[in-house]
Amino acid sequence: MSSWLAEAAAVFAKDWRAELRTRFALNTLGLFAVTTLVVVSLALGPIGGSPNGPSVLSAVLWLILLFAATAGLPRLFVAEEETHTATALRLAATPSALFTGKLAYGLVLLLALEAITTPLYLAMVQLPVASPGLLVTVLAAGAVGLAAASTLVAVMVAQARARGTLFAVLLFPVLVPLLVMAVALTRQAVSGEPANVGLLPLVLYDASVIVAGLMLFPAMWNP
Amino acid sequence: MPAIEFHDLHRRFGRVRVLSGVSGGAGAGEVLLVTGANGSGKSTLLRCLAGLLAPDKGEVRMTVGGRVLEPAERRRAVGYLAPDLAFYEPLTTAENLAFFARLRGVDPGRGAALLDWVGLPHDRAAGALSSGMVQRLRWAWALLHWPDVLLLDEPLANLDPPGRKLVSQLLAEQLERGAAAVVANPAPIDLPGSVRRVELAG
Repeated sequence: MSSWLAEAAAVFAKDWRAELRTRFALNTLGLFAVTTLVVVSLALGPIGGSPNGPSVLSAVLWLILLFAATAGLPRLFVAEEETHTATALRLAATPSALFTGKLAYGLVLLLALEAITTPLYLAMVQLPVASPGLLVTVLAAGAVGLAAASTLVAVMVAQARARGTLFAVLLFPVLVPLLVMAVALTRQAVSGEPANVGLLPLVLYDASVIVAGLMLFPAMWNP
Repeated sequence: MPAIEFHDLHRRFGRVRVLSGVSGGAGAGEVLLVTGANGSGKSTLLRCLAGLLAPDKGEVRMTVGGRVLEPAERRRAVGYLAPDLAFYEPLTTAENLAFFARLRGVDPGRGAALLDWVGLPHDRAAGALSSGMVQRLRWAWALLHWPDVLLLDEPLANLDPPGRKLVSQLLAEQLERGAAAVVANPAPIDLPGSVRRVELAG
């Protein structure tokens, strides 16, 4: 393994080891997602069969994922600043490897969240899925974009005072294209009706945010 | 031969001028002791030297293997110790050092050996260490990658007499192998090697 990859893997492993001992992000994301899921499902009821069902449920699914991510992912760098471990990281880590390790950690967290909440959500609102393969692909591609954008914005707000507000204010405009595409493609996966957008733009969005992150991160992380 | 030099360093925080025209340096096997009252800029100076803070004006030159390092290289090359340096509390001392060893491309066994040298248990969570034990862990962390330049901010803080003796020996060993050190402390302290002193007026 190259030293760069080994560094990224070390950051990923460290974050997960610490997370599994404290369960801060897992509990925050999990509780938020399950609570929202239950409230939304009870309020909407089994609307899977109604004409607007796929549209409404696709949008609501991504909103749940978005707000769960907003609740947990700012901690990626805020925790490093608050506990004063950021200084040691700045002195020891290659910035791009650090960004990649943190992104991978956030991505796995989001994928785990999706793996738990999506089947539960679909079952509660009794929504049949026409194309499960496409749904899994869209959820995975959406998680990549969400994790990459959240990682990038998390480092921008880590040293600010009103971090929570700033995180949301900066993140939402960046995520609008992702959410529009992800909702349309999820609706297609659920209903089987073609969407006005393909998977390629979503993948290109992911690639753009990751490349931007790798280029901008060193300047934002170091003085 | 490793060396660190700095010339005419200036640094402000808003309207507060912390450093104004500070110069100095240390060569291989030498120590520059920077003293001064609280708020005189000792920690700011060391953060500028480490590349953690950009000076408003002035120059820092760190030479290792005959080559002047860029700020990004300087950050990774120095052995830095400071009171605000913290570790991952849920992880053990050994896990903390193993993590940083992997980041630095050093054999994780080096961390275990350093823990033995500084007399720390391997399996104690960093969050459960006393302040003196954290200071010993900072020493082990700073020496993890055999740094040629050491930047030590209050290196004896929180240490008991055996701890002070131990880190004094560790510093002497580093100087003997040719490392250069800049040490910041509020008051003069006994240090091994050839020591020069700079007093910051504040």
